Amino acid sequence: MRNILIVALREFKQIIAMRSFWLTLLILPLALAFGPVAQRFLDNDEASQLMIVDRSGGAVATALAQRIDDDHQRNLLGRLSRYVRRHDLAAAGPGQPWAQHDRYFTDADLAAFRAAGGLPAALRRIEAVKPSGVPEFKQEPPDYAVVATPPALAAADPAALDAAAQPLLRPADQAAKAVDTILFIRADFASSGQARLLANSDPSPRLMAMVQDVLTRQLRTGFLRSQGLSPEAAAAAGQIAPALAVSTPPPGGGLKEAMVVRSFLPLAACYLLMMSLMLSGSWMLQGSVEERGNKLIETVLACVSPEELMYGKLLGTVAVGMLMIFVWILCGVVAATATQGAIADFIRPAVEPLRSPGTLATMIFFLVVGYVSVSLFFLAIGAMTDSMREAQGYLMPVMFALILPVTLLIQAVVSGGGGVALTVLTFVPIWTPFTVLARLGAGIPTWQVLLAGALLLAWTALQLAMLGRLFRHSLLATGQKAGLKTLIEQMRTRGA
Amino acid sequence: MQLDRVAKRFDQTLAVDDLSFAVREGETFGFLGGNGAGKTTSLRMVLDIIRPTSGSITVLGRAPGRENAPLIGFLPEERGLYRQMTALDTIVYFGRLKGMTPGDAKREGLGLLERFGLAGNARSTIDKLSKGMAQKVQLAAAVVNRPRLLLLDEPFSGLDPVNQTLLEDEIRRATADGATVVFSTHVMQHAERLCDRLLFLAKGRKRFEGTIDEARDSLPARLTLLSRQSPAGLAGVASARRVGEAKDGWGEWEVQMKAGASAGDLLERCIAEGFPLRRCEQQRAGLHDVFIHLVGPAEARS
Repeated sequence: MRNILIVALREFKQIIAMRSFWLTLLILPLALAFGPVAQRFLDNDEASQLMIVDRSGGAVATALAQRIDDDHQRNLLGRLSRYVRRHDLAAAGPGQPWAQHDRYFTDADLAAFRAAGGLPAALRRIEAVKPSGVPEFKQEPPDYAVVATPPALAAADPAALDAAAQPLLRPADQAAKAVDTILFIRADFASSGQARLLANSDPSPRLMAMVQDVLTRQLRTGFLRSQGLSPEAAAAAGQIAPALAVSTPPPGGGLKEAMVVRSFLPLAACYLLMMSLMLSGSWMLQGSVEERGNKLIETVLACVSPEELMYGKLLGTVAVGMLMIFVWILCGVVAATATQGAIADFIRPAVEPLRSPGTLATMIFFLVVGYVSVSLFFLAIGAMTDSMREAQGYLMPVMFALILPVTLLIQAVVSGGGGVALTVLTFVPIWTPFTVLARLGAGIPTWQVLLAGALLLAWTALQLAMLGRLFRHSLLATGQKAGLKTLIEQMRTRGA
Repeated sequence: MQLDRVAKRFDQTLAVDDLSFAVREGETFGFLGGNGAGKTTSLRMVLDIIRPTSGSITVLGRAPGRENAPLIGFLPEERGLYRQMTALDTIVYFGRLKGMTPGDAKREGLGLLERFGLAGNARSTIDKLSKGMAQKVQLAAAVVNRPRLLLLDEPFSGLDPVNQTLLEDEIRRATADGATVVFSTHVMQHAERLCDRLLFLAKGRKRFEGTIDEARDSLPARLTLLSRQSPAGLAGVASARRVGEAKDGWGEWEVQMKAGASAGDLLERCIAEGFPLRRCEQQRAGLHDVFIHLVGPAEARS
């Protein structure tokens, strides 16, 4: 055991002395640190500029502006309601729409919200009861802003509209703010129903749907009035909508998020296992090839047995791999506890399973045993080859065989599919660790976890015995490479 | 160290065939043979790197195994080191694998590097050292544990003259400290300078085991005589050839003795028979000649 630890320590030290190790180790923390910053740059916080040229009398423009503001206020109400529910702040406004949940916010709710002073008033009331430590409510700008129409465009001849709109959509002055979309409502809109949309890029489907909806309502209202309905009745008919009750899980847990949350950590572990195996496995391979290539294997074998050497290398590499996974998870935990915002909201519940000893033990078991099992392939390849180039020849098919099904299975787990194929992969030992880890979050029957664990353990023990023999036989072999028949024979016989 | 009827077969090749010999404690033992004679295979079996097909081996009173590692130093023919490890770390690593504590291994390693003129390179990684320096580090790693048995496989191959002298000094130092040294070589001069006893190996079989004198004696003696008449008729003489003239009728003869006949026997015969003789010089056979004689020219060339 002493020699195994000495060899393991040397392997460990050699790998962590590599620059590539530190680069790899720091990739994830750096991504976590810079992710929110990058997100800030990537996010388009500015509202999309919409200009309306309404020559039909102005009712359409008014209805569209109203709709945009309604959508924004409804969105604000929804988010505020979730914030209040999550942080248990309903006492700030008994009876206020934002203190309620499980419902669609109607126009009456919006009216009440506006009448009570809107978001600023709600935030003042919340601030009064908010305990320290509760994060601030994060406001978001509206998606669309209706901008004033320049008189030149408002008066432009319909035939010259495109020419007049171009300087607004694509201003020559780079610093000038471009209008994203111009909606042109013809004077005879009520009878012809025709309108034009000019945009500086493809308009978003959401904007199209909203414009379509508002214009349709306007046409319907006009039609009902032409059929003799009073203006009020016609307008009311246009507003008819079902009262939809919506049940959602509480923020931070519950149905949809729970699935995502529970899936996140084991799935992440599956990814991390694959990543760290690919990296530390290749480092281990490099170490084994170095020992053969630099002809120092005989010196080592004079002091330690091939089995001690194998176990030592394995232990050292597993330690490196586990260190990487541990550091990455630790970074996630630190990010969850030390940061605010969306990243923390996402990670905090994701690391929740770590509190459960059973889940933790299952994940550690499949991580460690899976790691050992796959690493053994790298070790055997390293023992059979004299150069990294030669090793790559063996490595590529092995990696391909491992990674391709794993990539597919992760997609299947995420999309909730997989079916029989997923169950079959669960019991094929080389894919067992990945499959079980990936499935843990979405739910996997306990008997399947136990059976897959037992099979994986038996398979790894068999690997240790067979590849251990191959390792012993291959270490000092020189000259012509052994064929498949010889390799099988070597795996079956003990001594060298 | 003792090998008793040891054989090792690799597939169809019999690398070592019925090999028996013993190395006494404290002696320097040469393992001589051409390439493929079975020297490395035998040493690997002694170290338990590979196992014999048949026969038995005793090392330091025990069966071969890693438990002997603390008492053994080994320098393989094919040498290499971890390129990214420092010289000192390398020595300490192998010292620890031989059962030393980190402190002892470091102390001993620093002492060896000092002795080998590498004190300033203790913290240099191997890839920054010259080949000669790396060879010294490897030698230091082999002897860091002050072994009782030092096994050296072709230790002089690839060494420059300075390092050859250093290695010879280390071998003498080890034996002076009471260690047993076994080294394989096909360079006879090293064996002649260092070995107490020798073993000649050819095609895996033992051809000779004994002292250098005994090895030389295995060749028929050759003498140079200054006499007035041909010694060809004397008992024990296989052949005589006149090689030079001296004045007053004396001639120089090169005499080849029959196997088993010695120069002393010939001198005794000359005195007894009144054979006129002015000079009698024995030409000692070189180890190289003995080697060729024992293993055959073809084997010696390999």
